[in-house]
Amino acid sequence: MRSTFQGLETAKRGMFAQQTALSVTNNNIANANTPGYSRQRVNFEQTNPYPPSSFNRPDVTGQLGTGVEAGSIQRVRESFLDIQYRGENSKVGYWSTRADAMQQMEEIMNEPSESGLAKTMDQFWSSLQDLSVDPTNQGARSVVRQRGIALAETFNYLSTSLSNIQTDLKNEMEVTEQDANSLLRQIEGINKQISEVEPHGYLPNDLYDRRDVLIDELSQLASVKVEYSGSGGNPSPIAEGLATVKLLDESGSELTTLVSPSGRKDINIQYDGDAVSGISVGGKVILAAEFSSPGKLQGLVEAYGFESEAGDVEGLYPNMLAELDNLAYTFAQAFNTVHEDGMSPNEITNDQTNEDIRFFADASSDDGALGDKAGFASRMTIDDQIRDSLDNIAHAIPNENTGEAEMGDSSNVLALAEVIKNDLAYSEDGSTSFSNYYESVIGAMGVNAQEANRMTENGEQLRSAVEGRRQSVSSVSLDEEMTNMIKFQQAYNSSARMITTVDEMLERIINNMGLVGR
Amino acid sequence: MRVTQSMLASNSLSYLSKSYEKLGMYQDQLSSGKKITKPSQDPVVAMKGVQYRSNLNDIQQYKRNLSEVYLWMDNSEAGIEQTNNALQRVRELLIQGKNGTLSEDDKQAIGEEIGQLKESVMGIANTQVGGRYIFNGTSVDQPPVTEGNPPVSTINTDPYEVQVSPGVKLQASVNGENVFSSEMFQTLQNIEDTLNGAEDLDMDELLSDLDGNIETMSAERSELGARYNRLEMIETRIDQQEVMSSRVLSENEDIDIERVITDLKTQESVHRAALGVGARIIQPTLLDFLR
Repeated sequence: MRSTFQGLETAKRGMFAQQTALSVTNNNIANANTPGYSRQRVNFEQTNPYPPSSFNRPDVTGQLGTGVEAGSIQRVRESFLDIQYRGENSKVGYWSTRADAMQQMEEIMNEPSESGLAKTMDQFWSSLQDLSVDPTNQGARSVVRQRGIALAETFNYLSTSLSNIQTDLKNEMEVTEQDANSLLRQIEGINKQISEVEPHGYLPNDLYDRRDVLIDELSQLASVKVEYSGSGGNPSPIAEGLATVKLLDESGSELTTLVSPSGRKDINIQYDGDAVSGISVGGKVILAAEFSSPGKLQGLVEAYGFESEAGDVEGLYPNMLAELDNLAYTFAQAFNTVHEDGMSPNEITNDQTNEDIRFFADASSDDGALGDKAGFASRMTIDDQIRDSLDNIAHAIPNENTGEAEMGDSSNVLALAEVIKNDLAYSEDGSTSFSNYYESVIGAMGVNAQEANRMTENGEQLRSAVEGRRQSVSSVSLDEEMTNMIKFQQAYNSSARMITTVDEMLERIINNMGLVGR
Repeated sequence: MRVTQSMLASNSLSYLSKSYEKLGMYQDQLSSGKKITKPSQDPVVAMKGVQYRSNLNDIQQYKRNLSEVYLWMDNSEAGIEQTNNALQRVRELLIQGKNGTLSEDDKQAIGEEIGQLKESVMGIANTQVGGRYIFNGTSVDQPPVTEGNPPVSTINTDPYEVQVSPGVKLQASVNGENVFSSEMFQTLQNIEDTLNGAEDLDMDELLSDLDGNIETMSAERSELGARYNRLEMIETRIDQQEVMSSRVLSENEDIDIERVITDLKTQESVHRAALGVGARIIQPTLLDFLR
């Protein structure tokens, strides 16, 4: 026999469930603009029908529904899209860091322009040509000296500016290291909170959202993969569980575990002099040459410089600095050789004795002799003898037989000018002229930067496409929430009306039934 | 696909920022007049740019060198012209002096004039241009002829050369020895002495000596003329090269201004449309219609 009051209970359940749904709708609307928020929905479940199937059931026709309950409140999210998003985010992190580094390099090199190294070299050549048409002209001599100083200073400027950026990159790398460790710490903390909530059967949607935001941020720094393991106790079947974050390499295979339910490992960048030697994760060292986990961290390591397998320092900035050293050193050496062989007015007046006077010198050596090739671009300067007297610039080639030279002979100035145009061994692959070699350096830099820009753009495009799909699944649509609001409100109202109806039925039974003949 | 307000808003923002990026690029191009401002925008244009600039710089420098050669040649030509006039005058005077009807006083006077002409030829030999002796080869700091009777000429015959294109040097100086030789000064001295009466040499022989000297000088002058022609040819060629190089440089990296302005105009209207669409789409929700 069914209860007279069952209708009241069913209607009450309906009101409670719709009220819960309205609260969730309210929460969705309130969080419509919260970053990382996934919309939530109430999973309505029917309550057990009456009578239950049992041996002692009352003999009534069919099973009667007893209403609804709010089974769970679940966030709407597609974890597959998260994986795609994080993959693209890592690539964007890597390429955009590289693109930024290359952009700064391009700005410093400042080519093609009317003020770059190529132009300074052209001007130096022109000044030598001007001197060659009038070797006794003191004005032309002083222009040669000034243009020579300008050339040395341009090399100095380029070299030190690049080194400064390199220092900035190191700072950025340290900040990134801290960021990564802070993210790992936070993910570990959230894991712990989740492990305290889930065993009670609750779904901590807010913690899930916060954890996903943190993992998204981490994926920008390095390539990661997330695996989930269930909490203990009595978790809901749709609980997401505890995250294990693993570091991946380029090809997607695991390098090491960063965070697991049992703890976390700190990332630590190790240096050897001016290069990154390795990345240690919880004490386990991955050699820099083998570290290939696309992300901002790898981008910075590659821009700043790292130890290659052969033990050399490689990287965008070290390579460009080495090219500058190479250009400056090879050129200065060849130029000095020609200059030492020539005769200057001072040498001619000093009884025609040919001394070895350098034109370019090394600021770090006492006598000005060219020292180490590494870092020469930052130390290149004009020899003190040239600085002291314009008449130390060798303009003439001494006669082969007499060893004497003339004041009006400009053949050595032309030979000096030729050094700029001549093929010298700037690279190991063969000889090229200064402008050809420099052109190839600039070209290579351009191609490198272009690739980085293009890959950043592509990555951003793909990332925003994935983000679009993710938003399509998880973001709050106000129209939808308003529709739901109407839907739930009407259902709530209808349940309330049901109570009135049942009330009227009871009124009929209690007060108006059995009054025949009164 | 489910589309939400936040998606529309973020799309609007990204379209607008892309649009601004393009506008920024056109702004860069129009205000710099160059297709690219960084090598990464077009590495090939950047690489070629370095080369073309260097080429143009070379050509402009050679052009400047040419003006120096002109300076030398014009002055050498003027010097030879004056020397030629002087020697022709000497020749006239010598022929006059050979005339037996002249008195000793007259001859004396002619001798005086020849002495003056000799001094002036010596002056011409020591012509300086910009502080350099132009008739003394590469010894530009030493005068080719020093005072004396006859004046002593110690001439450096090494050519004073100027580079006018890669690997090509043009001789700017004349061979001073062919113009102001010791023999020439000796001849002038002999003529002067003979007319003065200090010596008694055969005037016919002196005349033929003088003719010989004038002959050598004319030959040198012809050579200078031929070199001058070559110089003019080189200048014409370099002028053409300069025009060509400038054009190549410009074609490589300068913008087509009409095109960029048209593109800018198009982009401007696209940008307006994007702004308009954003404003329209983001505003209304169902909320606006639920009353």
